[in-house]
Amino acid sequence: MKYFLFSVSLFIVTISYSQEEKKDYCRIYGGFETNAQRYLEYENQEQDNPPVFFRSNNYLQVNYEIKKFTFGLQLESYESKALLNYSPGFDGTNIASYFVKYKSKKIEATLGYFYEQYGSGMILRAWEDRALGINTALRGFRFAYKPTNDINFSTFFGQQRSGFDISNGKLFGFNIDIDLNNWLKLEESDLSIGFSNVNRYEKIDEVKTPNPDFNPTTNAYSFRLNYSKNIFYSSLEINYKNKDGVLNRISNEIIENLARSGSAYQWNFGIAKEGLGIDVSLRRTENFQFLSERIPEPYDTERSSLDFFDKVINFTPALTKQHHSNLANIYVYQAQAGVEFKTLEIMKSGETGGQIDFIYEFAKNSTLGGKYGTKLAVNYSSWYNLPGTYRSLPEFYETSFFGIGEKYFSDFNIEVKKQVSRNLRTSFLYVNQYYNKKWVEDKPVEVNTHIAFAELIYNINDLRSIKFDLEHMWADEDFRNWYGITSEFNFNDKWSVFAMNLVNYGNKDPEESKKHYLTIGSAYRKGTSRVSVSYGRQRGGLVCVGGVCRFVPESTGFSLSFNTAF
Amino acid sequence: MFKIIFTIFLISISAIAQKQMPNIELSSIQGKSFNVSKDFNDPDKLYVFSFWATWCAPCVNELEAFHQNYENWKKELDIEIIAVSVDDSRTQKRVKPFLNGKNWNFNVLLDTNQELKRALSIVNVPYTIIVKNKKIVYLSNGYTQGAENELYKKLIELK
Repeated sequence: MKYFLFSVSLFIVTISYSQEEKKDYCRIYGGFETNAQRYLEYENQEQDNPPVFFRSNNYLQVNYEIKKFTFGLQLESYESKALLNYSPGFDGTNIASYFVKYKSKKIEATLGYFYEQYGSGMILRAWEDRALGINTALRGFRFAYKPTNDINFSTFFGQQRSGFDISNGKLFGFNIDIDLNNWLKLEESDLSIGFSNVNRYEKIDEVKTPNPDFNPTTNAYSFRLNYSKNIFYSSLEINYKNKDGVLNRISNEIIENLARSGSAYQWNFGIAKEGLGIDVSLRRTENFQFLSERIPEPYDTERSSLDFFDKVINFTPALTKQHHSNLANIYVYQAQAGVEFKTLEIMKSGETGGQIDFIYEFAKNSTLGGKYGTKLAVNYSSWYNLPGTYRSLPEFYETSFFGIGEKYFSDFNIEVKKQVSRNLRTSFLYVNQYYNKKWVEDKPVEVNTHIAFAELIYNINDLRSIKFDLEHMWADEDFRNWYGITSEFNFNDKWSVFAMNLVNYGNKDPEESKKHYLTIGSAYRKGTSRVSVSYGRQRGGLVCVGGVCRFVPESTGFSLSFNTAF
Repeated sequence: MFKIIFTIFLISISAIAQKQMPNIELSSIQGKSFNVSKDFNDPDKLYVFSFWATWCAPCVNELEAFHQNYENWKKELDIEIIAVSVDDSRTQKRVKPFLNGKNWNFNVLLDTNQELKRALSIVNVPYTIIVKNKKIVYLSNGYTQGAENELYKKLIELK
């Protein structure tokens, strides 16, 4: 009922005023989003007593801008509870964040909650992703100064948001980016550098950590160098973190006598010219988990705030291709940036590896290009543990800079996109993946897959179109083989319906031998609003956005999503 | 209940709402800085901001369709398409080779930590905004095959 009132009232007011127009000196903008599920059944119902079948996540954001000031507020409501497997910190209805911002040509000052990212985020990324249940906004003060077009400086202090609360670690940071072209009088090339520092202070709990071999304050640094000339570009990022306690994720304690520093190196380079792009990323990270509280908040024996990406200061994205096919998203790699001693054999200190992309367009009217051109994309990525000496009792590791350790993951894929005629577009994808579930997750299997995916989009007329996806995955272990069929019909540019069936077969366990995950749904969009409904069975496993994954239990039910902006 | 009333109160004072782009600066793919509310305001010119990401298939289809029609549209309309990439640091490095691989010639802005996306409350990409004389005159959430024809009609209407 609370949910109903909340969303209906918001919706009505939102649409009733959004048509109006007015004065020039101030304005209001924002948005509303709701994601609701009525579960018919879900796994681990016994964990909730009694089980909660209706769950929803709702977000209302309102900003008020007057002259150089902006006032902002975000309300969040999780009623009756948050969707399955969101952090327990997201509970009830409350004001989630607010800010006042002043912005002039050279100065920007924010008081309240703000988001921030330094470089590629490897020492700091305060961000929000509602689909993943991540919100690590900082609460405090931020100041940015831009004396000339070539220099950007910013600094902040604050504490990270966690649920409707904040975490204990106190953070301070500054960042400077300098464009050197004018200064060095470069005309044909482009050179810029950046430097940042993030400082975290968290009191050491002397009961839990009696003889700490590290300071309450930890500093992390990042240095960046970007260069490009003609078709060539390169960006190098070097990150370092001071000696700090290392977490044992299983016991959720700081490991005795293993305080270590951490480092992360990333080099990205490539060439980009008309019709051709080649991009290479190499990265090595060692002990590079940076948390606002050294010991994550435990929720039960198995889960802590770290499992929900909560109280995490930095962000290390998985550098692998983000696939569009459903089945290629079953085994998704997640970056292994930190130290983890899982068992007597599985000891990780970070990751090393790389990714290469090759993108080419066969020109129109060439042999392979045909009338409309043909697009080819080839991608390969491979990731490994750091090579070195590992010992589990007591915990110890020593790594070497070059070389590779146990393989975590690899993905080789080829995608061809071809428009056949004015009305028919096709796309084909082949993927070969290796996923070491034993090292990356918990299940003692290693999986090799081959995936074939084809997509056809046919325009019946200017507005009406139909889309078919067919895919198959051959997997030698774990859940084994899958196939999937998705079909989508667009009645016009506003309304569409879809049906999707993913079928798992060949599973060794006879009870699990053939399972259908059928979902049907419809979406309608108009202006800034979009509403979608669906009914079906959701595969349990990882739901991933941008290389960050959230585990969801298998469930069946109705879902409703609505979002609008004003 | 208090919260609901408070919210309604907040929204009702918004009757004086003015639809403009937020005062936010983004860096272009060439490293040049653009203020989205101040740098795109030639009188009567139509600015089409298209939010996309390298991993989003419908976005890529939409921009592909824009790309194919861009030269023709430009003959009839005073128009500029700005492709705002919401790729985060995982895929942002792929934007440059991706654009060249595709031969697109739009001005591309990078919204790396989703500041603009958040300010505009954009939940899903693709998302398209048309701005004329500093005012947001049209918004569209999502893309289906052929929707560029509707957009074209809209552009002609707004001309």
